[in-house]
Amino acid sequence: MNLIWVMPAKGVDVPHGHDIWVTGASLRLGDDPPVDVLGGVDLHAAGGEVTAIVGPSGCGKSTLLDAIAGLVPLEHGTVRTGGDVALMPQRDALMPWLTLHENVAMGARLGGTGTDAADDAAADALERLGLTGFARHYPHALSGGMRQRGALARTLLSRRSTWLLDEPFGALDALTRSDMHGVLRHLHAEARPTILLVTHDIGEAVALAGRVLVAGPRPMRIVDAIPVDASEPQATASAVMDALRRAGAVA
Amino acid sequence: MRPARVALAVALPLLVLVAWQLVSWIASPREWMLPSPAAVGQAAWGARDRLWFHAQWTVLIAVIGLLLAVALGSAIAYLIARSRIARLALYPWVVVSQVIPLVALAPLLVLWFPPFVAIVALAVLMSIFPVVVAGVDGLRGTDPDLVRAARGLGADEGWAWRHVRVPAALPRLFTGIRLAAVFVVSGAVVGELVASDRGLGALTRLSAGQFETPVTFAGVVLLALIGLALFGAVALAERAALPWTRRATRRGS
Repeated sequence: MNLIWVMPAKGVDVPHGHDIWVTGASLRLGDDPPVDVLGGVDLHAAGGEVTAIVGPSGCGKSTLLDAIAGLVPLEHGTVRTGGDVALMPQRDALMPWLTLHENVAMGARLGGTGTDAADDAAADALERLGLTGFARHYPHALSGGMRQRGALARTLLSRRSTWLLDEPFGALDALTRSDMHGVLRHLHAEARPTILLVTHDIGEAVALAGRVLVAGPRPMRIVDAIPVDASEPQATASAVMDALRRAGAVA
Repeated sequence: MRPARVALAVALPLLVLVAWQLVSWIASPREWMLPSPAAVGQAAWGARDRLWFHAQWTVLIAVIGLLLAVALGSAIAYLIARSRIARLALYPWVVVSQVIPLVALAPLLVLWFPPFVAIVALAVLMSIFPVVVAGVDGLRGTDPDLVRAARGLGADEGWAWRHVRVPAALPRLFTGIRLAAVFVVSGAVVGELVASDRGLGALTRLSAGQFETPVTFAGVVLLALIGLALFGAVALAERAALPWTRRATRRGS
Protein backbone atom coordinates (compact mmCIF):
# COMPACT_ATOMS: atom_id res chain seq x y z
CA MET A 1 0.00 0.00 0.00
CA ASN A 2 1.38 3.38 -0.94
CA LEU A 3 0.88 6.40 1.20
CA ILE A 4 0.99 9.66 -0.64
CA TRP A 5 2.17 12.41 1.63
CA VAL A 6 1.81 15.51 -0.42
CA MET A 7 1.22 18.32 2.00
CA PRO A 8 -0.23 18.90 5.45
CA ALA A 9 -3.96 18.43 5.87
CA LYS A 10 -6.22 21.24 4.71
CA GLY A 11 -7.82 23.23 7.45
CA VAL A 12 -6.36 21.11 10.21
CA ASP A 13 -3.95 22.83 12.45
CA VAL A 14 -3.27 21.02 15.66
CA PRO A 15 -1.46 22.75 18.49
CA HIS A 16 1.66 21.04 19.74
CA GLY A 17 0.64 18.59 22.44
CA HIS A 18 0.72 19.28 26.15
CA ASP A 19 2.31 17.12 28.80
CA ILE A 20 0.13 14.61 30.60
CA TRP A 21 0.61 14.45 34.36
CA VAL A 22 -1.16 11.88 36.49
CA THR A 23 -0.58 11.79 40.24
CA GLY A 24 -1.86 9.21 42.67
CA ALA A 25 -4.82 8.17 40.53
CA SER A 26 -7.01 5.69 42.35
CA LEU A 27 -10.28 4.23 41.26
CA ARG A 28 -12.54 1.54 42.50
CA LEU A 29 -15.23 0.08 40.27
CA GLY A 30 -18.19 -2.17 40.70
CA ASP A 31 -20.44 -3.02 43.63
CA ASP A 32 -20.34 -6.63 44.43
CA PRO A 33 -17.60 -6.57 45.65
CA PRO A 34 -15.97 -3.32 44.55
CA VAL A 35 -12.63 -3.78 42.85
CA ASP A 36 -9.59 -1.52 43.15
CA VAL A 37 -8.71 -0.97 39.52
CA LEU A 38 -6.23 1.88 39.79
CA GLY A 39 -4.04 1.80 42.86
CA GLY A 40 -2.28 5.14 42.82
CA VAL A 41 -1.01 5.63 39.29
CA ASP A 42 1.73 8.20 38.76
CA LEU A 43 2.80 8.95 35.25
CA HIS A 44 4.21 11.63 33.03
CA ALA A 45 3.99 11.70 29.26
CA ALA A 46 6.03 14.40 27.55
CA GLY A 47 4.20 16.86 25.32
CA GLY A 48 4.39 16.12 21.64
CA GLU A 49 5.98 12.71 22.24
CA VAL A 50 4.71 9.15 21.98
CA THR A 51 4.64 7.30 25.28
CA ALA A 52 3.59 3.67 25.52
CA ILE A 53 2.04 1.81 28.44
CA VAL A 54 2.63 -1.93 28.49
CA GLY A 55 1.05 -4.23 31.01
CA PRO A 56 -0.89 -7.47 31.52
CA SER A 57 -4.47 -7.81 30.23
CA GLY A 58 -7.16 -6.59 32.52
CA CYS A 59 -4.82 -4.54 34.68
CA GLY A 60 -6.80 -1.36 34.20
CA LYS A 61 -5.08 0.33 31.28
CA SER A 62 -8.37 1.13 29.52
CA THR A 63 -9.80 2.52 32.74
CA LEU A 64 -6.75 4.72 33.15
CA LEU A 65 -7.27 6.16 29.69
CA ASP A 66 -10.96 6.74 30.44
CA ALA A 67 -9.93 8.63 33.57
CA ILE A 68 -7.39 10.76 31.72
CA ALA A 69 -10.01 11.57 29.09
CA GLY A 70 -12.39 12.64 31.81
CA LEU A 71 -14.97 9.96 31.08
CA VAL A 72 -14.67 8.40 34.51
CA PRO A 73 -14.14 10.36 37.74
CA LEU A 74 -11.21 9.40 39.96
CA GLU A 75 -11.64 8.74 43.63
CA HIS A 76 -8.24 10.09 44.50
CA GLY A 77 -5.47 11.72 42.55
CA THR A 78 -5.26 14.27 39.79
CA VAL A 79 -4.90 14.35 36.06
CA ARG A 80 -3.44 17.27 34.17
CA THR A 81 -3.60 17.39 30.41
CA GLY A 82 -3.95 20.34 28.09
CA GLY A 83 -7.68 19.75 28.42
CA ASP A 84 -7.73 18.81 24.79
CA VAL A 85 -7.97 15.06 24.79
CA ALA A 86 -9.19 12.53 22.23
CA LEU A 87 -9.67 8.91 23.19
CA MET A 88 -9.64 6.15 20.62
CA PRO A 89 -11.14 2.90 21.95
CA GLN A 90 -9.89 -0.58 21.20
CA ARG A 91 -12.05 -1.52 18.30
CA ASP A 92 -12.23 1.04 15.54
CA ALA A 93 -15.73 1.99 16.70
CA LEU A 94 -16.70 3.65 13.45
CA MET A 95 -20.44 4.32 13.43
CA PRO A 96 -21.92 1.52 11.31
CA TRP A 97 -24.66 3.73 9.86
CA LEU A 98 -22.26 6.35 8.50
CA THR A 99 -20.06 6.01 5.45
CA LEU A 100 -16.31 6.16 5.92
CA HIS A 101 -16.32 9.78 4.80
CA GLU A 102 -19.12 10.71 7.18
CA ASN A 103 -17.36 8.97 10.04
CA VAL A 104 -14.13 10.86 9.46
CA ALA A 105 -16.01 14.15 9.03
CA MET A 106 -17.73 13.47 12.36
CA GLY A 107 -14.34 13.78 14.03
CA ALA A 108 -13.86 17.20 12.47
CA ARG A 109 -17.33 18.38 13.45
CA LEU A 110 -16.86 17.27 17.05
CA GLY A 111 -13.59 19.17 16.96
CA GLY A 112 -15.51 22.35 16.17
CA THR A 113 -15.00 22.53 12.42
CA GLY A 114 -17.98 23.71 10.39
CA THR A 115 -19.85 21.27 8.13
CA ASP A 116 -18.34 22.21 4.76
CA ALA A 117 -14.81 22.53 6.08
CA ALA A 118 -15.30 19.19 7.84
CA ASP A 119 -16.31 17.50 4.58
CA ASP A 120 -13.28 18.92 2.81
CA ALA A 121 -10.91 17.97 5.60
CA ALA A 122 -12.35 14.45 5.65
CA ALA A 123 -11.97 14.02 1.91
CA ASP A 124 -8.41 15.28 2.16
CA ALA A 125 -7.53 12.95 5.04
CA LEU A 126 -8.99 9.96 3.23
CA GLU A 127 -6.97 10.79 0.15
CA ARG A 128 -3.77 11.00 2.13
CA LEU A 129 -4.49 7.65 3.70
CA GLY A 130 -5.23 6.02 0.37
CA LEU A 131 -8.90 5.49 1.18
CA THR A 132 -10.63 7.78 -1.32
CA GLY A 133 -12.11 4.90 -3.28
CA PHE A 134 -13.84 3.68 -0.12
CA ALA A 135 -15.20 7.01 1.08
CA ARG A 136 -18.80 6.03 0.38
CA HIS A 137 -18.53 2.53 1.81
CA TYR A 138 -20.05 1.52 5.09
CA PRO A 139 -17.64 0.19 7.74
CA HIS A 140 -18.85 -3.40 7.48
CA ALA A 141 -17.57 -3.50 3.90
CA LEU A 142 -14.05 -2.46 4.89
CA SER A 143 -11.14 -4.49 6.18
CA GLY A 144 -9.84 -4.04 9.73
CA GLY A 145 -6.85 -2.04 8.53
CA MET A 146 -9.00 0.35 6.54
CA ARG A 147 -11.36 0.87 9.45
CA GLN A 148 -8.47 1.57 11.79
CA ARG A 149 -6.99 4.06 9.34
CA GLY A 150 -10.41 5.69 9.20
CA ALA A 151 -10.55 5.84 12.98
CA LEU A 152 -7.10 7.44 13.10
CA ALA A 153 -8.14 9.99 10.49
CA ARG A 154 -11.22 10.76 12.57
CA THR A 155 -9.06 11.30 15.65
CA LEU A 156 -6.65 13.50 13.70
CA LEU A 157 -9.48 15.69 12.45
CA SER A 158 -10.84 16.26 15.94
CA ARG A 159 -7.95 18.69 16.36
CA ARG A 160 -7.15 17.49 19.83
CA SER A 161 -3.61 17.93 20.97
CA THR A 162 -3.54 14.78 23.08
CA TRP A 163 -4.42 11.31 21.80
CA LEU A 164 -5.09 8.35 24.04
CA LEU A 165 -4.92 5.21 21.94
CA ASP A 166 -6.28 2.06 23.57
CA GLU A 167 -4.61 -0.94 21.88
CA PRO A 168 -5.45 0.54 18.50
CA PHE A 169 -3.83 -2.18 16.41
CA GLY A 170 -4.53 -5.20 18.59
CA ALA A 171 -7.14 -6.67 16.28
CA LEU A 172 -5.01 -6.45 13.14
CA ASP A 173 -2.76 -9.03 11.56
CA ALA A 174 1.00 -8.52 11.75
CA LEU A 175 1.41 -7.13 8.24
CA THR A 176 -1.38 -4.59 8.59
CA ARG A 177 -0.07 -3.70 12.00
CA SER A 178 3.35 -2.74 10.64
CA ASP A 179 1.65 -0.72 7.98
CA MET A 180 -0.34 1.12 10.62
CA HIS A 181 2.83 1.86 12.57
CA GLY A 182 4.03 3.78 9.54
CA VAL A 183 0.71 5.62 9.32
CA LEU A 184 0.82 6.61 12.96
CA ARG A 185 4.42 7.79 12.68
CA HIS A 186 3.53 10.01 9.72
CA LEU A 187 0.46 11.45 11.42
CA HIS A 188 2.44 12.11 14.55
CA ALA A 189 5.31 13.74 12.68
CA GLU A 190 2.88 16.09 11.05
CA ALA A 191 0.62 17.12 13.88
CA ARG A 192 2.85 16.43 16.93
CA PRO A 193 0.07 15.55 19.36
CA THR A 194 0.97 13.99 22.69
CA ILE A 195 0.26 10.31 22.24
CA LEU A 196 -0.29 7.90 25.08
CA LEU A 197 -0.46 4.45 23.56
CA VAL A 198 -1.65 1.41 25.45
CA THR A 199 -0.46 -1.87 23.99
CA HIS A 200 0.20 -5.44 25.01
CA ASP A 201 2.80 -5.77 22.24
CA ILE A 202 6.27 -4.88 23.52
CA GLY A 203 7.65 -4.74 19.98
CA GLU A 204 5.03 -2.20 19.03
CA ALA A 205 5.75 -0.10 22.10
CA VAL A 206 9.45 -0.03 21.33
CA ALA A 207 8.84 0.70 17.63
CA LEU A 208 6.55 3.66 18.21
CA ALA A 209 7.33 5.25 21.56
CA GLY A 210 10.13 7.34 22.97
CA ARG A 211 9.43 5.98 26.44
CA VAL A 212 7.74 2.82 27.69
CA LEU A 213 5.85 2.82 30.98
CA VAL A 214 5.44 -0.58 32.58
CA ALA A 215 2.17 -1.21 34.41
CA GLY A 216 1.75 -3.76 37.15
CA PRO A 217 -1.27 -6.01 37.67
CA ARG A 218 -4.39 -4.82 39.45
CA PRO A 219 -4.61 -2.53 41.39
CA MET A 220 -2.60 -0.85 38.69
CA ARG A 221 0.45 1.28 39.24
CA ILE A 222 3.22 2.33 36.92
CA VAL A 223 6.19 0.39 38.19
CA ASP A 224 8.89 1.37 35.73
CA ALA A 225 9.68 3.84 32.95
CA ILE A 226 12.14 2.76 30.30
CA PRO A 227 13.48 5.16 27.71
CA VAL A 228 13.60 3.67 24.23
CA ASP A 229 16.99 3.42 22.61
CA ALA A 230 16.13 3.52 18.92
CA SER A 231 19.51 2.07 17.99
CA GLU A 232 19.04 -0.92 20.32
CA PRO A 233 15.39 -1.95 20.13
CA GLN A 234 16.13 -5.51 21.23
CA ALA A 235 17.85 -4.32 24.37
CA THR A 236 14.99 -1.98 25.17
CA ALA A 237 12.47 -4.75 24.61
CA SER A 238 14.39 -7.03 26.96
CA ALA A 239 14.49 -4.31 29.58
CA VAL A 240 10.73 -3.90 29.30
CA MET A 241 10.25 -7.65 29.57
CA ASP A 242 12.41 -7.78 32.68
CA ALA A 243 10.45 -4.96 34.24
CA LEU A 244 7.20 -6.79 33.51
CA ARG A 245 8.56 -9.91 35.17
CA ARG A 246 9.65 -7.99 38.22
CA ALA A 247 6.21 -6.45 38.46
CA GLY A 248 4.67 -9.91 38.50
CA ALA A 249 2.92 -9.24 35.26
CA VAL A 250 4.52 -12.13 33.42
CA ALA A 251 5.63 -15.53 34.68
CA MET B 1 -36.24 -13.49 -5.43
CA ARG B 2 -34.93 -16.62 -7.03
CA PRO B 3 -37.53 -18.95 -8.62
CA ALA B 4 -36.70 -21.80 -6.24
CA ARG B 5 -37.36 -19.53 -3.26
CA VAL B 6 -40.65 -18.27 -4.68
CA ALA B 7 -41.71 -21.83 -5.37
CA LEU B 8 -41.00 -22.90 -1.80
CA ALA B 9 -42.88 -19.95 -0.37
CA VAL B 10 -45.94 -20.61 -2.45
CA ALA B 11 -45.84 -24.40 -2.04
CA LEU B 12 -47.49 -24.64 1.36
CA PRO B 13 -50.49 -22.37 0.69
CA LEU B 14 -51.01 -24.11 -2.64
CA LEU B 15 -50.99 -27.47 -0.90
CA VAL B 16 -53.56 -26.22 1.57
CA LEU B 17 -55.77 -24.93 -1.23
CA VAL B 18 -55.62 -28.21 -3.09
CA ALA B 19 -56.37 -30.21 0.05
CA TRP B 20 -59.28 -27.92 0.86
CA GLN B 21 -60.75 -28.28 -2.64
CA LEU B 22 -60.40 -32.07 -2.42
CA VAL B 23 -62.15 -32.16 0.94
CA SER B 24 -64.99 -30.10 -0.54
CA TRP B 25 -65.36 -32.46 -3.47
CA ILE B 26 -65.24 -35.58 -1.40
CA ALA B 27 -67.15 -34.61 1.72
CA SER B 28 -69.45 -31.98 0.12
CA PRO B 29 -70.05 -29.95 3.25
CA ARG B 30 -72.85 -27.39 3.28
CA GLU B 31 -71.72 -24.24 1.56
CA TRP B 32 -72.65 -22.10 4.52
CA MET B 33 -70.39 -24.29 6.66
CA LEU B 34 -67.26 -24.82 4.60
CA PRO B 35 -67.35 -23.40 1.09
CA SER B 36 -64.85 -24.71 -1.45
CA PRO B 37 -62.06 -22.45 -2.69
CA ALA B 38 -63.89 -22.21 -5.96
CA ALA B 39 -67.05 -20.97 -4.22
CA VAL B 40 -65.03 -18.44 -2.25
CA GLY B 41 -63.40 -17.22 -5.44
CA GLN B 42 -66.76 -16.85 -7.14
CA ALA B 43 -68.31 -15.04 -4.19
CA ALA B 44 -65.31 -12.75 -3.93
CA TRP B 45 -65.62 -11.81 -7.56
CA GLY B 46 -69.34 -11.25 -7.24
CA ALA B 47 -68.96 -9.09 -4.16
CA ARG B 48 -65.83 -7.29 -5.32
CA ASP B 49 -67.28 -3.84 -5.02
CA ARG B 50 -68.36 -4.44 -1.45
CA LEU B 51 -65.04 -6.06 -0.60
CA TRP B 52 -63.10 -3.18 -2.12
CA PHE B 53 -65.13 -0.60 -0.20
CA HIS B 54 -64.62 -2.33 3.15
CA ALA B 55 -60.99 -3.17 2.46
CA GLN B 56 -60.13 0.47 1.86
CA TRP B 57 -61.60 1.36 5.20
CA THR B 58 -59.59 -1.29 7.06
CA VAL B 59 -56.39 -0.34 5.24
CA LEU B 60 -56.90 3.29 6.19
CA ILE B 61 -57.33 2.42 9.86
CA ALA B 62 -54.39 0.02 9.83
CA VAL B 63 -52.04 2.52 8.21
CA ILE B 64 -53.02 5.39 10.50
CA GLY B 65 -52.87 3.07 13.49
CA LEU B 66 -49.42 1.82 12.55
CA LEU B 67 -48.01 5.30 11.98
CA LEU B 68 -49.37 6.46 15.32
CA ALA B 69 -48.09 3.35 17.07
CA VAL B 70 -44.62 3.91 15.63
CA ALA B 71 -44.55 7.61 16.51
CA LEU B 72 -45.97 7.23 20.03
CA GLY B 73 -44.12 3.99 20.70
CA SER B 74 -40.77 5.47 19.70
CA ALA B 75 -41.36 8.56 21.82
CA ILE B 76 -42.32 6.46 24.84
CA ALA B 77 -39.33 4.20 24.31
CA TYR B 78 -36.98 7.19 24.20
CA LEU B 79 -38.43 8.60 27.43
CA ILE B 80 -38.25 5.28 29.21
CA ALA B 81 -34.69 4.62 28.10
CA ARG B 82 -33.46 8.09 28.89
CA SER B 83 -35.10 8.83 32.22
CA ARG B 84 -35.41 6.58 35.22
CA ILE B 85 -38.42 8.51 36.42
CA ALA B 86 -40.16 8.04 33.09
CA ARG B 87 -39.38 4.35 33.20
CA LEU B 88 -40.90 3.92 36.65
CA ALA B 89 -43.91 6.01 35.74
CA LEU B 90 -44.64 4.73 32.24
CA TYR B 91 -43.46 1.17 31.84
CA PRO B 92 -45.97 -0.43 34.21
CA TRP B 93 -48.84 1.28 32.37
CA VAL B 94 -47.52 0.14 29.03
CA VAL B 95 -47.55 -3.43 30.29
CA VAL B 96 -51.00 -3.04 31.88
CA SER B 97 -52.38 -1.78 28.57
CA GLN B 98 -51.41 -5.10 27.06
CA VAL B 99 -52.70 -7.31 29.80
CA ILE B 100 -56.27 -5.98 29.60
CA PRO B 101 -58.02 -7.96 26.86
CA LEU B 102 -58.67 -5.44 24.13
CA VAL B 103 -61.90 -7.11 23.15
CA ALA B 104 -63.22 -6.16 26.58
CA LEU B 105 -61.86 -2.65 26.27
CA ALA B 106 -63.42 -2.05 22.88
CA PRO B 107 -67.02 -1.35 23.99
CA LEU B 108 -65.72 1.12 26.57
CA LEU B 109 -63.69 3.01 24.02
CA VAL B 110 -66.70 3.15 21.74
CA LEU B 111 -68.72 4.60 24.59
CA TRP B 112 -66.24 7.39 25.14
CA PHE B 113 -65.05 8.26 21.65
CA PRO B 114 -66.48 8.60 18.16
CA PRO B 115 -66.24 5.21 16.38
CA PHE B 116 -63.36 6.12 14.07
CA VAL B 117 -61.21 7.35 16.97
CA ALA B 118 -62.09 4.33 19.07
CA ILE B 119 -61.14 1.89 16.32
CA VAL B 120 -57.85 3.63 15.60
CA ALA B 121 -57.15 3.70 19.35
CA LEU B 122 -57.67 -0.05 19.50
CA ALA B 123 -55.39 -0.58 16.53
CA VAL B 124 -52.71 1.52 18.22
CA LEU B 125 -53.09 -0.22 21.58
CA MET B 126 -52.74 -3.58 19.93
CA SER B 127 -49.56 -2.69 18.09
CA ILE B 128 -47.68 -0.23 20.28
CA PHE B 129 -46.14 -2.68 22.71
CA PRO B 130 -43.59 -4.32 20.38
CA VAL B 131 -42.46 -0.88 19.25
CA VAL B 132 -41.86 0.29 22.81
CA VAL B 133 -40.08 -2.87 23.90
CA ALA B 134 -37.88 -3.00 20.81
CA GLY B 135 -37.13 0.71 21.07
CA VAL B 136 -36.09 0.51 24.73
CA ASP B 137 -34.04 -2.58 24.03
CA GLY B 138 -32.28 -0.90 21.13
CA LEU B 139 -31.52 2.31 23.03
CA ARG B 140 -30.26 0.54 26.13
CA GLY B 141 -28.20 -1.98 24.23
CA THR B 142 -25.92 0.41 22.36
CA ASP B 143 -22.41 -0.93 21.79
CA PRO B 144 -20.47 0.82 24.59
CA ASP B 145 -17.42 1.24 22.34
CA LEU B 146 -19.43 3.46 20.02
CA VAL B 147 -20.47 5.71 22.88
CA ARG B 148 -16.92 5.69 24.21
CA ALA B 149 -15.60 6.71 20.79
CA ALA B 150 -18.01 9.64 20.53
CA ARG B 151 -17.43 10.81 24.12
CA GLY B 152 -13.72 10.32 23.54
CA LEU B 153 -13.88 12.80 20.67
CA GLY B 154 -15.55 15.36 22.90
CA ALA B 155 -19.25 14.66 22.51
CA ASP B 156 -21.45 15.26 25.56
CA GLU B 157 -24.18 12.87 26.76
CA GLY B 158 -26.91 14.65 24.82
CA TRP B 159 -24.98 14.45 21.56
CA ALA B 160 -24.20 10.81 22.19
CA TRP B 161 -27.91 10.08 22.73
CA ARG B 162 -29.03 11.85 19.59
CA HIS B 163 -26.25 10.85 17.24
CA VAL B 164 -25.11 7.47 18.51
CA ARG B 165 -27.74 5.69 20.59
CA VAL B 166 -30.74 6.59 18.43
CA PRO B 167 -29.26 5.52 15.06
CA ALA B 168 -27.76 2.44 16.69
CA ALA B 169 -31.22 1.49 17.98
CA LEU B 170 -32.96 1.67 14.61
CA PRO B 171 -32.39 -1.91 13.46
CA ARG B 172 -33.91 -3.26 16.64
CA LEU B 173 -36.73 -0.73 16.50
CA PHE B 174 -37.65 -1.97 13.05
CA THR B 175 -38.01 -5.47 14.39
CA GLY B 176 -40.67 -4.08 16.69
CA ILE B 177 -42.30 -2.19 13.84
CA ARG B 178 -42.55 -5.36 11.77
CA LEU B 179 -44.44 -7.02 14.61
CA ALA B 180 -46.62 -3.96 15.01
CA ALA B 181 -47.55 -4.10 11.32
CA VAL B 182 -49.06 -7.50 11.83
CA PHE B 183 -50.84 -6.73 15.10
CA VAL B 184 -52.36 -3.46 13.92
CA VAL B 185 -54.60 -5.29 11.46
CA SER B 186 -55.99 -7.44 14.30
CA GLY B 187 -56.62 -4.31 16.32
CA ALA B 188 -58.49 -2.68 13.45
CA VAL B 189 -60.63 -5.78 12.99
CA VAL B 190 -61.47 -6.03 16.69
CA GLY B 191 -62.60 -2.44 16.60
CA GLU B 192 -64.67 -2.93 13.50
CA LEU B 193 -66.29 -6.06 14.87
CA VAL B 194 -67.50 -4.16 17.88
CA ALA B 195 -68.14 -0.69 16.68
CA SER B 196 -68.52 -0.34 13.00
CA ASP B 197 -70.54 -1.16 9.92
CA ARG B 198 -67.58 -0.42 7.72
CA GLY B 199 -64.34 -2.29 7.23
CA LEU B 200 -63.53 -5.94 6.66
CA GLY B 201 -64.08 -6.78 10.31
CA ALA B 202 -67.59 -5.43 10.04
CA LEU B 203 -68.12 -7.22 6.74
CA THR B 204 -67.18 -10.58 8.20
CA ARG B 205 -69.57 -10.01 11.08
CA LEU B 206 -72.44 -8.97 8.82
CA SER B 207 -71.92 -11.66 6.22
CA ALA B 208 -71.43 -14.40 8.81
CA GLY B 209 -74.67 -13.28 10.38
CA GLN B 210 -76.36 -13.73 7.00
CA PHE B 211 -74.66 -17.12 6.46
CA GLU B 212 -72.89 -15.65 3.46
CA THR B 213 -69.92 -17.79 4.38
CA PRO B 214 -68.05 -17.56 1.06
CA VAL B 215 -67.99 -13.79 1.43
CA THR B 216 -66.79 -14.14 5.02
CA PHE B 217 -63.96 -16.34 3.84
CA ALA B 218 -63.08 -13.87 1.14
CA GLY B 219 -62.98 -11.13 3.76
CA VAL B 220 -60.63 -13.17 5.93
CA VAL B 221 -58.32 -13.89 3.01
CA LEU B 222 -58.24 -10.20 2.18
CA LEU B 223 -57.33 -9.36 5.78
CA ALA B 224 -54.43 -11.78 5.60
CA LEU B 225 -53.27 -10.15 2.39
CA ILE B 226 -53.49 -6.70 3.94
CA GLY B 227 -51.38 -7.88 6.86
CA LEU B 228 -48.82 -9.33 4.48
CA ALA B 229 -48.74 -6.16 2.43
CA LEU B 230 -48.16 -4.00 5.50
CA PHE B 231 -45.41 -6.34 6.66
CA GLY B 232 -43.82 -6.12 3.22
CA ALA B 233 -44.11 -2.34 3.21
CA VAL B 234 -42.30 -2.13 6.54
CA ALA B 235 -39.58 -4.44 5.24
CA LEU B 236 -39.11 -2.18 2.23
CA ALA B 237 -39.05 0.92 4.42
CA GLU B 238 -36.43 -0.78 6.57
CA ARG B 239 -34.19 -1.48 3.61
CA ALA B 240 -34.50 2.12 2.49
CA ALA B 241 -33.90 3.58 5.94
CA LEU B 242 -31.07 1.28 6.99
CA PRO B 243 -28.85 0.86 3.95
CA TRP B 244 -25.90 -0.20 6.06
CA THR B 245 -27.60 -3.34 7.30
CA ARG B 246 -27.39 -4.97 3.92
CA ARG B 247 -24.21 -6.86 4.54
CA ALA B 248 -21.65 -7.10 1.78
CA THR B 249 -20.68 -10.59 0.72
CA ARG B 250 -17.08 -9.64 0.02
CA ARG B 251 -14.88 -7.33 2.03
CA GLY B 252 -12.22 -4.95 0.75
CA SER B 253 -8.61 -6.06 0.62
